[in-house]
Amino acid sequence: MNSRKKALCVVLWLACFSGAAFAVCNQSNSSQAERDLWNQHGCWQDFFLWQYRAYDARASNWSNRGFFDACNVNLEYPKHWNASYLLTYKLNDNNDQSFHGTIDYRATAEAAGSNFHNGFFHLAIDDNSVYGAFTPPDQVKTSCPLYDNNTPTANNNPASRAGDFMHEGWHAWLRKYNWNNGDCGGHRCSGCSFGSCDYFYFHGISQYVFGAMWENNGTASRFHSPNQVQVEFLCDVADQSSAPSSVKTAARADANARSAARFINGPGYRCGDPRPW
Amino acid sequence: MSQKTKLWDQHLLLVLVAFALLVFVAGCRPKGSGGSGSTTGPDEKPPQANQPAGPPPSSILAGRTLHNPPALSATGGDASQAVAAFIDWAGASLPEEHEDGRKALEAARGNKDVVKAFADEITKAQRTDHSRALLALALLGELRSPDAEQFLREFVNQPFPTEGHKTTEGEIIEQTALGTLQAKAIDGLAYLNSPGANEEVLTQVSKHPSIIVRSEAISAYLWNQKDKEAARRTLLQRVLKGEERYIDQITRVEGERAGSFNPKLEAYLKAHPEVVPPAPEYEKERRQEQSNDRNLNPGNPPKY
Repeated sequence: MNSRKKALCVVLWLACFSGAAFAVCNQSNSSQAERDLWNQHGCWQDFFLWQYRAYDARASNWSNRGFFDACNVNLEYPKHWNASYLLTYKLNDNNDQSFHGTIDYRATAEAAGSNFHNGFFHLAIDDNSVYGAFTPPDQVKTSCPLYDNNTPTANNNPASRAGDFMHEGWHAWLRKYNWNNGDCGGHRCSGCSFGSCDYFYFHGISQYVFGAMWENNGTASRFHSPNQVQVEFLCDVADQSSAPSSVKTAARADANARSAARFINGPGYRCGDPRPW
Repeated sequence: MSQKTKLWDQHLLLVLVAFALLVFVAGCRPKGSGGSGSTTGPDEKPPQANQPAGPPPSSILAGRTLHNPPALSATGGDASQAVAAFIDWAGASLPEEHEDGRKALEAARGNKDVVKAFADEITKAQRTDHSRALLALALLGELRSPDAEQFLREFVNQPFPTEGHKTTEGEIIEQTALGTLQAKAIDGLAYLNSPGANEEVLTQVSKHPSIIVRSEAISAYLWNQKDKEAARRTLLQRVLKGEERYIDQITRVEGERAGSFNPKLEAYLKAHPEVVPPAPEYEKERRQEQSNDRNLNPGNPPKY
């Protein structure tokens, strides 16, 4: 083999390798809950043209994930904005019944800096070992188990995805106010069913006016952990929203599983009675 | 001539290797590593769709026919199609249509073909679509048919995986996926409230390897028993040591108001002072970070 052929081989091999580094999660289909919510808006273009700025979703991060095919519900960016649609429009915001309001959940998930967190941006990663991650100072990442219908996951639905926006957004809240929630990825390393546990800081309904979820008083009586915010959001989707039934059912299952398994002082709140449907 | 060719080859080799390295480095750069300052041209591009814009959601919802669930009266081979259509309808149904669905299920309680069709759908969806499998299990449980008991019992006894996709937090994704489905099957068994189904639920209170299922079994058993005190006594004999608190778990039911929920929470915290967490702690080193806000000024979301 002459040197030219050798060089060509090297180029092709390296190019192939770099292509593998770009591999994305399976984007060939979507779950029923995804489609049921999607069919309520039928791919609302005004919304995603607002969402990409509100979430600082950048073309460079999402271009091979449906950023330029934003009405294809099988792809990741459309699934991302579908979850945003859920939390932006579907909650009932009943001050006497909801744990928190849309204003709280939006401020936690959206990119803009506020009392809830410093500015961040949203991106997707290809990693089956996490649902999502907050990488300081400014990256909220969501991953395959929240999107991929081929991974044997319970979380590839808009409720769980939006729930993860809450979880990662709350890590950003902890960071903004210098709270130490533990050394295992921002959680306590033991005390629940996994190696990643939180405390549940119980509070009643109406104890936080809408917009005040970010507040704390430095004690356990007024504080939130990431898993707790996630459970409270999922509970509000399950019990206090006009989302389609498949989304509410998935939200309830996720909330109750998380409530049972993720807290050192658990269980946290249970969402809804155990009537099957 | 041959010396010229050799020289040319060497130059070409250098150029190709340099190009390859460039491609390689670009490929290794993690997607999303643009950082907060990556406000370069491509990032300013808005998303696009390959379809023309449609009507706003308010028009779509206004055009929907509500309160019209598909019938579940088919038998034989037609039952499969009817059940698939019913699951489609139920998944998309709105809260105000919930009772319509429940009535349709109640009317189909004696239809064994419908029970079998639900079981088939669950088995199929379990491999392909968790949200559909969960929904179909919920509907089969709501059907409250004695003919469903055997299937539900077999479902909660499916072998629990011990390995699979493990997260960095130590969670096996397959366990959570099956656990949430089995918890829904438990709801159906407890709702049946037959001696056999209740015994299965109580068995899972102590035997199931997942706290997700054990916790659901506790709640579902208690909720479905008229004599709550007797049910509590039964559960206290069956729960694993250290899980007694799950019997008292605080539930917020749909539509519950602060006036009902808050006193329950107060009573729970009084009965279980051990659940009050310690005060949160600050980081040892205080950071003062500048917000990397790009100030994209999205304004208010579009009017629904």
